Amino acid sequence: MPADLNMKILVVDDMSTMRRIVKNILKQLGFANMEEAENGQEALQKLRADTFGFVVSDWNMPVMPGIEMLRAIRADEKLKHIPVLMVTAEAQKENLIEAIQAGVNNYVVKPFTAETMQEKINKIFK
Amino acid sequence: MIPRATVHTSAQPKDASDDIDPENPDTALYEKLGELTRFIDKTIKTISQFSAPMSATTEQLPDATTHLRDLRKLTEEGTHKVMQLVETIEDNRKRLYAQLDALERNLTGDNAAAVKAIRNGMAKDDKPLIDIITALSFQDLVAQRVNKLVTIVEEVEHKLLELVVVFGPYTKGAGKDEASKASEMLKQLEASKNTSINQDVADEILKQFGFN
Repeated sequence: MPADLNMKILVVDDMSTMRRIVKNILKQLGFANMEEAENGQEALQKLRADTFGFVVSDWNMPVMPGIEMLRAIRADEKLKHIPVLMVTAEAQKENLIEAIQAGVNNYVVKPFTAETMQEKINKIFK
Repeated sequence: MIPRATVHTSAQPKDASDDIDPENPDTALYEKLGELTRFIDKTIKTISQFSAPMSATTEQLPDATTHLRDLRKLTEEGTHKVMQLVETIEDNRKRLYAQLDALERNLTGDNAAAVKAIRNGMAKDDKPLIDIITALSFQDLVAQRVNKLVTIVEEVEHKLLELVVVFGPYTKGAGKDEASKASEMLKQLEASKNTSINQDVADEILKQFGFN
């Protein structure tokens, strides 16, 4: 099933530049409905207050890192079905294993290209 | 296989057991303790002599963190500026695509083919434009490394301030009040270990310990 281009996507990153980059790539891929959060805690508040179809999140963030947010999403009955793509500079094998165990749907290592992002999104929604 | 060479030099440390007088082991122990005490005393004197340049270094460290934070801010602002310009170009192109579509619908034959060719020519820039945007993710990696550097500089600053408090000239021959002040300063430094120390706190410590 291809991704619904109208679904609401939450872009989570503490760096404003990265949020803008990810939003631009998603826009290029045809998505139009995007919101932003600066950390995992803010993201969880937004996810609980609205209906989102997809989360793209950074790993390293103050207040609540991406991995903790991912665990909270998977532990929440209402949110656990939402696909999560982790975008991170953490290329270590241990982090990847930790993310997989926490229930990540896919993983993009920075710096990445628009093609890589598209490929990962296609895999998540195939 | 290369045979292992045994090197003997005069600088090679002697085995501690060489100095121990089997008749009187306490003498050897006292000699060793005396040696250690002299070493510590010499180190304290040396550090005290270096206290002025050390103070200067400590004073400059908050400047270093400010420069690093400025670097992060400037690269962030520059990145946003480039993205804003690319987004403006993309918006203009979107309008041009719509106009070309409208034009193409009203044309036939060679004219329609010419408009289509223009459209295809424009489309060649779609990928380079998004590549410019994604290439800007370098700023995030720069910011992460700058954050690490700021943490390191702040740790070094804490350590230097601790040295200033412990070995500073103010504590030399200090009375009860001064010793308690030094102890209080060390507590403050310990408490601020996981937070960045501001210039005022650093200045206050340096001032109280005789640096201007």
